[in-house]
Amino acid sequence: MSNSVNISVETTCENQIREIGYDGTELYQPPPTLSESLAKCAARIDFSKTSLDDLKKEEKTAAAAEEENKDGTQFQESLWPWDAVRNKLKDALTEICVLSDVISIAKDKRYLVLDPLLEEGDDTKPIVQVYSRKKAISQAAQVLLSGAERLRNAHSEQRSRNVSDFHIELLRLRQNWRLKKVSNAIIGDLSYRTAGSKFGMSGTFEVTKAEEASDDDSASTSTTSSSTATNNGMQMKASSALRVIVPAELQGVAYIKVITQKDQEDLCTAQVNLMGHGPNITAQVGVWQKTLEFAQNVLFCKELFAQLAREAIQLQAPIPHVVIGNQIRATLLPNIQLIISLCHSTTFDSNQPAPINDHDHVLEHSLHQLLREVHYKNSHHPFPHPASAPLGPTKKRMLAGPMAADRETLLDMTKSQTILEQIIAQAQHIFMRKRTQYVLDTLARDVKDPQIVSHWNAMNSPTMSCVKINIVTHGYDAIGRTSLVIHVKERSLKCICRDGRVMRLSYEPQELRDLILCQINSHQISCLVSLARCMAWTVLSNSNHLGIGKVEPLGNASSCLLASPNGDRMIAVQIRCDPQIDVKVYIARSPRQDFFPSPLVPEKLWENLGGNFKEVKFDKIEGKSFLNKMEFLMASLTSNTA
Amino acid sequence: MASVSSARESLSHALNNRFLPNLEYLLQGSILDSAVEHLMHRLKGLCDNVDTSPETFHDLEVCMSLRQPNSNQPLLLRVRRALGRDAPFQMRYLGQPEVDQRRPTLVRSCMDCACTNGILEFLTEMGFRLEFEYIAKGYMFRKGRMKITVSKLIKIIPGKQQDMANEPISQSYIVELSVVAPTGQENVGEEMRVFAEQLKPLVQLDKIDYKRLGSMP
Amino acid sequence: MGVTVLQPYPMPEGKSGAHIIDYLGKRLLSLGATHAGQFLVDCETFISTPQPHNGTPGRAVHVLHNSEYPASTFSIIDSGTGKQVSLVADSIFDLLMLKMTNTFTSKKQTKIESRGARFEYGDFVIKLGSVTMMEHFKGILIEIEYKSCMILAYCWEMIREMLQGFLNINVGKDFPTYFATQTIMTAMGQQQLHAKHNDLYEPTDTVKQYLEQFTNYRKHVSMHGSLSGTSGIQQPVHMSSSPVMGAAGGLVLIRS
Repeated sequence: MSNSVNISVETTCENQIREIGYDGTELYQPPPTLSESLAKCAARIDFSKTSLDDLKKEEKTAAAAEEENKDGTQFQESLWPWDAVRNKLKDALTEICVLSDVISIAKDKRYLVLDPLLEEGDDTKPIVQVYSRKKAISQAAQVLLSGAERLRNAHSEQRSRNVSDFHIELLRLRQNWRLKKVSNAIIGDLSYRTAGSKFGMSGTFEVTKAEEASDDDSASTSTTSSSTATNNGMQMKASSALRVIVPAELQGVAYIKVITQKDQEDLCTAQVNLMGHGPNITAQVGVWQKTLEFAQNVLFCKELFAQLAREAIQLQAPIPHVVIGNQIRATLLPNIQLIISLCHSTTFDSNQPAPINDHDHVLEHSLHQLLREVHYKNSHHPFPHPASAPLGPTKKRMLAGPMAADRETLLDMTKSQTILEQIIAQAQHIFMRKRTQYVLDTLARDVKDPQIVSHWNAMNSPTMSCVKINIVTHGYDAIGRTSLVIHVKERSLKCICRDGRVMRLSYEPQELRDLILCQINSHQISCLVSLARCMAWTVLSNSNHLGIGKVEPLGNASSCLLASPNGDRMIAVQIRCDPQIDVKVYIARSPRQDFFPSPLVPEKLWENLGGNFKEVKFDKIEGKSFLNKMEFLMASLTSNTA
Repeated sequence: MASVSSARESLSHALNNRFLPNLEYLLQGSILDSAVEHLMHRLKGLCDNVDTSPETFHDLEVCMSLRQPNSNQPLLLRVRRALGRDAPFQMRYLGQPEVDQRRPTLVRSCMDCACTNGILEFLTEMGFRLEFEYIAKGYMFRKGRMKITVSKLIKIIPGKQQDMANEPISQSYIVELSVVAPTGQENVGEEMRVFAEQLKPLVQLDKIDYKRLGSMP
Repeated sequence: MGVTVLQPYPMPEGKSGAHIIDYLGKRLLSLGATHAGQFLVDCETFISTPQPHNGTPGRAVHVLHNSEYPASTFSIIDSGTGKQVSLVADSIFDLLMLKMTNTFTSKKQTKIESRGARFEYGDFVIKLGSVTMMEHFKGILIEIEYKSCMILAYCWEMIREMLQGFLNINVGKDFPTYFATQTIMTAMGQQQLHAKHNDLYEPTDTVKQYLEQFTNYRKHVSMHGSLSGTSGIQQPVHMSSSPVMGAAGGLVLIRS
């Protein structure tokens, strides 16, 4: 319903009041009858416009009639209403009669001759006309010339003062931003709505012409440009003829700061600030470009943060996410937190150091990209094929019916990860990758023999990267090499060994450390076995899992027993890996030198059984590495017997 | 654990709660080949995803009819297939169009059903007979939930569906603006009318009553 | 998505269906299977009125739904000539069938469904379905699916062992009748032996097995109905449908 109220307008009473009695009663004039109103109408007919003479006469008669009427209305009001009409008609008749008489006389041409009158108006001479025209034209020329002069002056003034033209600037603005004219104002839109954003905040700005006064003074005196110009830390060198007014909530600088924290200690920080992206076109366009870019960045950061905050509240995490003011806290791994905060300052302080410089470009880029992806998905829907199919469902969903997709597949289609989930996953992954790198690097540093070489794949996904680890002994590369691949995921590691074993490790770095140590262990033993074969020694037994000491789920101490080519020497090797790599080597010889027949073992032949194992001071043996030392040891034991 | 509801139940649930888009709002027009470039430019400017080139399509439509014992109107089903693409066949039922003067668009009931490619054989077994077939080839745009197709209709020489030698039916493109929406969304028509207004005078999109065209060949 | 075998459970005398379902369910649970929801497979048959003037025989369109494939409607048409054509479509196909009620009328009396609990054990999915037609209990159908394989010939032995060990159903060494080798006509019009158990399994195969079993149950009913003389209202419908059902049944016989 509209709020309008109907008002009817009408005269208060239809008839005039003729008389008011002493007692207050009003006597109305009765409404005119049909004939009376006809007479009234007829009296209004204007007979006077027929000729000039008539008009004059009319005036007189009208004046007379006025007089007469005065009397008439007083005394003979209703006596003769048609009187005036009759008189006028009578006059007209008289005139017609006279005219017809005159014409009939004039026809004979005896008493009366009709002559045309001389026209009087056209007696101006042509020369006068020429002069007057010339004068008018020169006057017009004067106006045009003075206008041109003014324009020229203005133009040259602009040139000299390097003041850009409002319209040129507006044209440039129009090339880069969305503008529209609303009545007299020019309104622009810097929101991402056309790019698929559904953020509610308005991104409109107003374009005005800079006042002349402010051009003369330094531009910073003007209120609007001073706020924008100083905010962005720029001095307005060239004053612009165009000014943009950005809403207060979009002024200033904003960025999103991402910090991963472990026990209050910052591990990695990232900021999202779109500044500096894209070609710098500020030089060729006005300063407003910078202003608008900053405002758009503020809008983007606000949208991103609003989205993240909304998701943080909706997500059901085991440890709930916390949103306080401009900050979101999420737990990545035990004791490690991800803090995303929106920083928005409207006053720029040039003394303030630039916000942390070593920010993580990857997370910064990811956050930006994730929101853009949301925008993209909002605006880019797949087209149906064939064309008659309905708009909306994804290609997968279109196939689901005819391809008889089962329930799980259909459920998977409805699932999607939120931005927060994705960014948490990415941050977790970054953290896991750093941890893995750290563990591998420290191990490679600490363990000199064998050498641990890790190759990181250059091509990663944001939540998965891959490292290949080669364990080799320097100088013995050809004998053996142990390689394994580790997939670094969000919260876990997956190790794939050469033999096809797959192990899943948690985020605890100790597990990876243990695994690598065990792998070193088995590397040493397997290389030793191959080396022994090369040197014609016999491998009596070897085991990768002795089951002594601390029992680890991924591996244990390993051992190996070797016999010399003619069987008179034996070497036993045990390698433990908890917590440090520890090598023990024992040797035994047969026939044993310390064999003495006893009543229990009387025969001499038992001396060939081999004697007690004696530990070798392994670190004293010459050689660079374990295998090198073992080679020396084996060689010396072989040559002793020869 | 909740008991499983039958497919029919969930379908009627969708119908009753107006989830199921079953009404097509349609405006149609045509434009000469020589002017279609201008229309494409305007559509590029008006529609979503202007940054990418317009989506093309190339479909074969086969209309099958079933004579019904108690009515003289045969039941028509249109089966559409995207040529050169791995997409399911689309079967389409279109109801009698309502040309309501008060509504800005033509409205007809509509059912879209994706099927496996045995559909034509299936319909033949059911007793359907081939009514007509043609190839539609052209461009598709979208603006919100509106779909705009600019298509060229191509005659088929029977038995030569894949042949490139098939000739266009006319020297013009058919332009269709359509929305398929659930019942009870009356503002759709207005939205479409406003959009159609923006395509004038290149193409005059109108509600076309086929019953009046019935006598034409 | 794997291979599914459908097996009717022989009903011992004097035991109610609910009792057996309960017993089988407990047996599965105690052997380590986990309960994983419910399932429903239903079938509705539409019959066309034969049109003698142009020689078209009566046709039956079976429309089936399987809760395992919630977005799809399966339909299988039996033309009078013994040819079967199957179609998988969006679930809106049901509404299209309603548009054809002039030609194809639904036989509500033969609406049949199998409904029950779903169990999972490793890569196996076991479904214990009790079959009801018009709210009357008809029997028990056991569906067993092996999810890691697409070809029956490779996993039949495993499924068989599962049936015997877990459910105590004696199953012969041969492939089930649905998968048996059959003669088909090639596109060239030649007859050829086709080993179905070597085919890639498709969801339609599950549905076809259900239709086969449902048809058996219905046939059973119509035979019983004609013997015992059911109510007069149902009788004519059964009579009119019998040629079609006979055709469908005949098809099954040819296959087995």
